[in-house]
Amino acid sequence: MQIEVLREAILKGQKDAACEAARALLNEGYKVEDIIHTGLTESLRLLDVKCTTEEFNLLEIMLSGRAMMAVMDDVIAEWLPSATVAKDNSASIVLGTIKGDIHELGKHVVKVILIADGYRVVDLGKDVPPLAFVESAAMEGASFIGVSSLITLTIPYIREIKNLLLREGLTDVHVIAGGAAIQQSDKEDLNVDYVAKNAFDGLHYIQNVLSGMPPDSIE
Amino acid sequence: MSIFGDKIKMLLSGKPLSEVIVIPEVFGFSARLMGYKIRDYVTDGRIIASCQIQCQKQMGYDAVFAFADLSVEAEALGCKLSYEEDSYPAVSRPAVEGYNELKRLRFPDPYRDGRMPVIIEAVRYLRDAKNENCLIAACIMGPISLASQLMGLEQLIYAIVDSPEYVEKLLDFTTEVAISYGRALIEEGADLPIVFDPSASPLVVPPHVFHKFELPRLKRIYSSFKKAGASAAWISIAGNTIKILPYYSDAGIEIATIDYVVDLKKACQLSKGIVINGNLKPYLFVHASEEEVRNEVRRCLEDTRGFNRYILGSGCEIPIEAKPDNIAAMVSEARCFKP
Repeated sequence: MQIEVLREAILKGQKDAACEAARALLNEGYKVEDIIHTGLTESLRLLDVKCTTEEFNLLEIMLSGRAMMAVMDDVIAEWLPSATVAKDNSASIVLGTIKGDIHELGKHVVKVILIADGYRVVDLGKDVPPLAFVESAAMEGASFIGVSSLITLTIPYIREIKNLLLREGLTDVHVIAGGAAIQQSDKEDLNVDYVAKNAFDGLHYIQNVLSGMPPDSIE
Repeated sequence: MSIFGDKIKMLLSGKPLSEVIVIPEVFGFSARLMGYKIRDYVTDGRIIASCQIQCQKQMGYDAVFAFADLSVEAEALGCKLSYEEDSYPAVSRPAVEGYNELKRLRFPDPYRDGRMPVIIEAVRYLRDAKNENCLIAACIMGPISLASQLMGLEQLIYAIVDSPEYVEKLLDFTTEVAISYGRALIEEGADLPIVFDPSASPLVVPPHVFHKFELPRLKRIYSSFKKAGASAAWISIAGNTIKILPYYSDAGIEIATIDYVVDLKKACQLSKGIVINGNLKPYLFVHASEEEVRNEVRRCLEDTRGFNRYILGSGCEIPIEAKPDNIAAMVSEARCFKP
């Protein structure tokens, strides 16, 4: 079997076929690392390209994300301790939907993509007060806070996060905002480091920051 | 037929009007303007009607809305809502947990269940205060969005692929709810119900899913509304809808609200004879200056000059926290423009 079979199943969002392909590849002698890097990570890259050049829609991305997570949880986990799945340079990211909003789906998509790319994600859930983001970032040693919202009324709460981080001396923590209503605003208005256009855009920001690129070069 | 009804007829037939029609999606903003908390607004039909009438009088645009929030039908069907003092309620727990619970859903009575009677009451007040120069629009949820509230959007998305036959049944049910509720609103005095279906946006489901699951059901809904006396078939779907816009006329849609991310000129080209409403950026009304709003209004009106099937409006709801002067600036700028 070829690794392309696994990638195609993931891109088509076929969870069972993806797991079956991954198992078959491992039984044929493929290394777990190859499944992760040329199978899952490459699928993520292809999905990213597809979403950038065509339409980004939740259905396709969630189905692919589900297939990817199934391969990791149901197949890879049996072969490898989860700690070694993460990248060597993995960073922690605190995610949450801001206070006043209980929509979680967009945040969930971001979470799946970040985990699939090897990051450690701390999910605070929904209706999260600004201070809880900051406390969690301090406790977890997180480099990033991802804050999601669908409602413009919550913008004052988003603005508070950076100020609270500065008050606590956490000047290195990047705040990334995303979500439908937020797209109409800019980073200055929201008092954040970056406004992600979609889940992959947020991932690119994190990748670029971690690779030492100045944040301004991303926009 | 009211004066406004004649204008709608002219718009639908593509005959030029002497002035621009302005219909922005103004809902909870009217409560804020009149000093009411959103929770009071969304639970009292008299307050909805009173705020809508006063706000329309002050701002001068061309419609009033019998609408509370996006969760009225979901609540009537058993979803649990989380209420805040001064923002819209939202579904906090779906009505069904899994495929097998569809049978538990009880068909709602628009005159008895949840807050549907609140909206019916709002329509009656608006009808009694009828302004012949103003449209009375009700707003209802479309089939995919209501289904996504009933079982959770994530579960619905997986079910579209895993169990399409289940989704078909659920969508047939939500379609019947939309028809029943929409017809009641028309019978009580609404000129038309606008169908809101944010979860049918290409941002959520690809166009082929819209075509297969949504389009035939929209056709049923609008056909039924027309028979009940609706003055036009109007849809509002947020996000970049350019790929599904050419399908709209197949469903009998006559007016479409398009979001700010859609290219207005391109939308007019692809509209196949339907009226386009839009597409000012909603957040513009919160943070921009009056001059910036006026510039954007002129941009929309220039882009649609000669099109004849255009209603100026916002691409989505004008935020509750919008500046009143910005809404007034939009209307006054449009009134100065000669189409």
